[in-house]
Amino acid sequence: MATFHIRWLRRIALVGLLCLVAFPKSVATGGADIAIVVRPDAPVENLTFPELRRLMLGEKQYWTSSLRVTLLVRAPGSREREVVLRSVYEMSEAQFRQYWIAKVFRAEASSGPRIVYSNEMAADVAASTPGAVAFVDASQIPKGLKVLKINGLLPGQKGYPLH
Amino acid sequence: MRGVFLATGVFAALVFQAGAQTTNQPANELIEKLLTRIDGLEKRVAELEKENATARLSPAPAAPAEPILPAIAPARVSPVEAAHMSHDQAPTIESGPLSSPLLHIAGFADFDFSATDLHGPNGGFQPLTLLSPHSGFSEGQFVLQLSSALSSKVSVFSELTLTARADAGTGSPAAPGFNAEVERLIIRYDWNDYFKVSFGRFHTPINYWNTAYHHGTWLQTTIDRPEMTQFGGSFIPVHFIGTQVEGAVPAGGLNLNYNVGLGNGRGEVLSRGGDLGDINNNRAWLVNLFVRPDILYGLQIGGSVYRDKLNPLTGLPAREWIESANLVWARESPEFIAEFANVTHQPIDGGITSNSQAFYAQVAYRLPAYLRLWKPYYRFEYIHVPFSDTLFHGLVPSFDGSTAGVRYDITSFAAFKVEYRHYIRRDLSSINGAFLQTDFTF
Repeated sequence: MATFHIRWLRRIALVGLLCLVAFPKSVATGGADIAIVVRPDAPVENLTFPELRRLMLGEKQYWTSSLRVTLLVRAPGSREREVVLRSVYEMSEAQFRQYWIAKVFRAEASSGPRIVYSNEMAADVAASTPGAVAFVDASQIPKGLKVLKINGLLPGQKGYPLH
Repeated sequence: MRGVFLATGVFAALVFQAGAQTTNQPANELIEKLLTRIDGLEKRVAELEKENATARLSPAPAAPAEPILPAIAPARVSPVEAAHMSHDQAPTIESGPLSSPLLHIAGFADFDFSATDLHGPNGGFQPLTLLSPHSGFSEGQFVLQLSSALSSKVSVFSELTLTARADAGTGSPAAPGFNAEVERLIIRYDWNDYFKVSFGRFHTPINYWNTAYHHGTWLQTTIDRPEMTQFGGSFIPVHFIGTQVEGAVPAGGLNLNYNVGLGNGRGEVLSRGGDLGDINNNRAWLVNLFVRPDILYGLQIGGSVYRDKLNPLTGLPAREWIESANLVWARESPEFIAEFANVTHQPIDGGITSNSQAFYAQVAYRLPAYLRLWKPYYRFEYIHVPFSDTLFHGLVPSFDGSTAGVRYDITSFAAFKVEYRHYIRRDLSSINGAFLQTDFTF
């Protein structure tokens, strides 16, 4: 009987090990929610998830006729970027790059997202650029910026989609 | 026993090292001083970082349901990654007045090899299909894309190509050389997302492929375009010179996009647009509508109508109507593109009205996990030109064909493609061919 249990325990351990090898990202993605921040004067408080996706895809390029959207995206390797690519774009890094190269090539956008290299830089650029929208770790929300709700939810609330 | 020897050896080495340290007193004092100084500097850095964080950060507005982990450190980016990232960091729009516009340049190019069993004329297929009686290497197109934001609402885009042609060189008869072409030149004024006006030379937006990939072969999955929308081909007017109004409205989550265009229409050579003016003082117009529903991310369904009056070099004047439709699943696992177009030619001075049809369906699949660099694909295409269509007969090939291949992405910006094609032509012998391509953006 004991031998039988040990054999099953070994099998379960082996399956767990294989899962760790096969899905390393799913294990490593724990962390705080990702907050979407804009300047306080941006004419938006809440976005539905499809609206957020259109914004990130560059299909919505204007908040109002006089205020253009400027997307700020973290550089490759950051968790903020990984969460946005996985949750919003549903693209790999290569697909994301190709998407924006094609978008600019099709003359549908004059440029891709601006790359920022830290939460501090994202906060600085978002604060100084009208219409800018940035993604920051919810534990490091900068002062002076407005956090947008997604589907009526703020970061940390149950059901918030960016984590 | 081996363990005992190993432990003894390590112990002896440590004792020897300790003895050596105690005998070098001045060096030790220097190390002590340096360590003290490093400690002091580290403390100062920590104080500065703490002051900086206190000034910048505040708690999150909503209490998180779960403990929040600290953010990871800023990513370290290698020079190669930084160069790659510049692709999605094209010049941003300046909010203040510009001293001069910023020009963004990108390039696309491809290099090809083909071998077919074609003997004799190819029966209307264009050189870019790579269908040639001779096997060998060829340079595809060298493409430069230039774009510039003149203000937050005004942008300029252009696409220039250099294409190897048998008759583009100098001398008589003309030697092979490179033919330069302004494929697109567009100035666009944005009012908002719903309304944008542009003027220039466009790829006619009555076909998905024509406006999705342009001359960037790297962007498309396959080596070549479908024949119905081939560059240099005549089935649909690939270029449109004039003006366009375009935009997108949410439409309850359907995301309805539109293009309305007015332009010169086809030139005397049907494959060419009216670059030097309208040849018949009769403007062509088009309406293109497509939706991208929120609930099915990746789906696009569209259709368009195009109207023109033709005065070809050879053939009788005719009215032209084009109706087209497309269904696209623009994801990679799977990718699906299907298009259909019907071209009606109605001779103005009377005669038989004819309808020519073309369609293609392409499916591809980006393989998962460790095979994700591979993307096999298959395309079936069909063109039928009735004998009564005197404008297209002899100019557009009637055929059905299959293309099967695989794309391998060497890097994020370059790919290898290998494919096999089997074309069954209505009036001529079938063609089999093997094709290789490497294409890239830079």
